Amino acid sequence: MKISFQINNDLSELNTLLDQLQLLEQEWSLPKKILMEINLVLDELITNTIEYSDSCKNNPIEITLTKTGRKITIKIIDEGLPFDPTLCKLPDTKLPLDQRRCGGLGILLVRQFCEYWNYSRLNNKNILTLQKTLSQEH
Amino acid sequence: MKTTITEKENTTIIALAGRLDSNSAPQFEQQLQDFLVSPHTHLLFDFNNLDYISSAGLRIILNTAKAYKSGQYHFVACAMQDHVQEVFEISGFDSFITIHRSLDESLSALKDRS
Repeated sequence: MKISFQINNDLSELNTLLDQLQLLEQEWSLPKKILMEINLVLDELITNTIEYSDSCKNNPIEITLTKTGRKITIKIIDEGLPFDPTLCKLPDTKLPLDQRRCGGLGILLVRQFCEYWNYSRLNNKNILTLQKTLSQEH
Repeated sequence: MKTTITEKENTTIIALAGRLDSNSAPQFEQQLQDFLVSPHTHLLFDFNNLDYISSAGLRIILNTAKAYKSGQYHFVACAMQDHVQEVFEISGFDSFITIHRSLDESLSALKDRS
């Protein structure tokens, strides 16, 4: 099972993402919790891509989700500046409040909700592949 | 996202409904400005109807917690849906923000502290 869609580099497109995922929820009969996790993963990565990209330039982002058995593969491709989120430093969540900074929280959540991710740069495109395995009961 | 602001005794209650993401965060941040610059009551975020939060929302929560860290007024949260609470816990925010199960629990805790 596979679904592909494209969005523009504009934050209002997060609503398009939600619409697409809600279709998926029915077609793939995914539990709400899994859907929310996939939404969060895509939201964080797409928001990063949009915020790093030149907002004057049209930089479409292509998203593909594939489900094979209990494995869901997410692929995000964009033609923006090279950016490898797998190199981002994760925040220390044990620090006391006055030492906590906002940076890196999005990537922390992505890491929490996906088991595997890989970045490559090919033909001037950022290609990010992530994998999530549904537990037995799903 | 929709917000409803009410004042009850010594506490400002902000009820959040819908989705707090990078799309809705800027507007919410602006709404909060006055409360962050000069707190004049306790501040309570009621998460009961918040369906979704991303790191853009967490950033605002972190800044709110920092604004209320010292001083006489407190910031607390209540009634989170399970997956919203999970995001708070992954981020370690539950170590510095008091999260009550219900609005009433928060209100009575704040009453005791004033």
